[in-house]
Amino acid sequence: MKKTKRETGAGHTWKQPEPGHVRLYVWEWPVRFSHWLLVFTIISLSITGYYMHAPYVVARGREAYVMGTMRFVHVVSGFVFFAALIIRGVWFFIGNRWSRWDQFVPTTKKRLEQLIAVGKYYGFMAWSPVRFIGHNPMAGAAYAVVYGMVFVEIVTGLVLFSETVHNSTLTFFVGWIPPLIDVQWLREIHFLFMFGFWMFFIHHIYTAILVSVEEQNGLMDSIFSGYKFIPEAELLEEAEASHDPELLPDSMVVDVMDEKGALR
Amino acid sequence: MEIAKVGLRSALEAREITRRQFIEFCSAMVATLALPSRYTTAVAEALEKTKRPVLVWLEFQDCAGNSESMLRSGDPPVGDFVLELFSWEYHELIMAGAGKKAEETLQRIVRDHKGEYIVVVEGAIPTADDGVYCTIGGRTALDIAREVCAHAAANIAIGACAWDGGVVSAGPNPTGAVGLQEAVPGIKVINLGGCPHNPANTAAVLVHYLTFNEMPELDQYNRPLFAYGNLIHDQCERRAHYDAGRFVEEWGDEAHRKGWCLYKVGCKGPEATYNCPTVRWNSGTSWPVKAGHGCIACASHRFWDTRSPFYDRLPSVPGFGVDVKAEEIGWIGTGVVAGAMVAQVAGNVVRDVLRARKDQDETDQTPDA
Repeated sequence: MKKTKRETGAGHTWKQPEPGHVRLYVWEWPVRFSHWLLVFTIISLSITGYYMHAPYVVARGREAYVMGTMRFVHVVSGFVFFAALIIRGVWFFIGNRWSRWDQFVPTTKKRLEQLIAVGKYYGFMAWSPVRFIGHNPMAGAAYAVVYGMVFVEIVTGLVLFSETVHNSTLTFFVGWIPPLIDVQWLREIHFLFMFGFWMFFIHHIYTAILVSVEEQNGLMDSIFSGYKFIPEAELLEEAEASHDPELLPDSMVVDVMDEKGALR
Repeated sequence: MEIAKVGLRSALEAREITRRQFIEFCSAMVATLALPSRYTTAVAEALEKTKRPVLVWLEFQDCAGNSESMLRSGDPPVGDFVLELFSWEYHELIMAGAGKKAEETLQRIVRDHKGEYIVVVEGAIPTADDGVYCTIGGRTALDIAREVCAHAAANIAIGACAWDGGVVSAGPNPTGAVGLQEAVPGIKVINLGGCPHNPANTAAVLVHYLTFNEMPELDQYNRPLFAYGNLIHDQCERRAHYDAGRFVEEWGDEAHRKGWCLYKVGCKGPEATYNCPTVRWNSGTSWPVKAGHGCIACASHRFWDTRSPFYDRLPSVPGFGVDVKAEEIGWIGTGVVAGAMVAQVAGNVVRDVLRARKDQDETDQTPDA
């Protein structure tokens, strides 16, 4: 667990935590990498995909190859998009506590209650946001839906791609789908879900700014650097709740642990 | 049935079809079947030796469009060859007999040629209310199909209706119409979808059967791969305009006159398979897209339900009333979310002000120590 207390010495280029706060490594590189892959592919897939639905550029000149280029970029971006889901999917199981799958599905009663508490804050029924080190349960649930949408887009996209390339391997994996759901409906789903990503995009940027401002925890920086700034008290709380001495700020380790390293 | 005894060559000569035209037909069939051209000789020899199997053409819930397509297929019509290659004993549209005599012929064929005759089915078969919505000579289509098709050497369902019910089974399908293979399960059917079927494909399947004594390779819908294995889009002569990004915006505009791609006006070429662009119609003269109309995917499964609207890219979204397009829902949804976020910002500003005031009040009320 990489965490840093306030240090006064020279040579630290990164932002120093406030007194009583800890600089904590929350988002590991695969989490950030897959996040940015998704961001850039969603943008390029939307631009090219919308063109493929309703060509909005008027091609000029004899050498024009607009649709061909759009389709090429779309297919390449689509496979990068797929790769991003695979990276993140693996990290659901081998990543740190804040990137695990149980952060996205409220599996305990406590997480469910916290989800409702967050809902109350967004519904103007609470004065202050509920604080979390990783994702709050509502954000986690929203991301679970988004990952579900990513999955649907990939599957429908692969079916539509297989219709044009006639690749036997691809047909082996997705060829059973079109007889169940006609390709036109798959195309419709593939297109409609794009707007789902747009809606999420707007909402996501808004809440990221909101929580950054409200909690002052370096949330916006954390998706670039991986580090958040957490009050020591919160970290202690999380350490006690999860029985994980690794989480404790170094200064507190001595206070609450016995010689064998177990939490008191 | 006198022609049966004189052989194919004299029968064709009686129709003023020359040997040259016969060989042309054979090579066209070989080309349609995607066989190497050396097979032309084999096909011609096999056809000349054929013993002219009995052919029965059943019509149920149909418009006779497939019969018309067969009989008016070119000069000489492909139908002329097929008429001579088979002993065409029963076909309501063209047979001379009528009424009881005609039905007796059908009964005689089923009795005397059991397991030898070929059945071509045109039209859907109604199954609702015991199939009363289509009866011939007092018997339901379902009843006739069950008896005649079960004892056939091969069954060929031609046209969209005989394959999957076609327009007859399109929603709401009041007669419970289905295609042949669904109406009579357990029989071997080769489906030749299309509205109508392309007579060149049907003739090619029959020629394949007469030459090799088996049906060509089929896909998951029991359709011959030579005809239904490729996307219309990949064989389209307007494809270059598609890749370039040159599209017809509305019917009759400058782009339409220039022959640009019909994608934006709803052409279903990218989601339809058929050999329409290569085999074409009326002796290879033209096909819909060449003539300036988008493909409606008439050879696709349940195309009335799955490929409509024919003049839009995607179906209207169900559950939102009439003709609500996906992009309308998408843009409105995105707008609503954006609006909700703006409202949230306003709400948060108000909350911050109220919270500050509340905190101030609490501080004021705290008595000095």
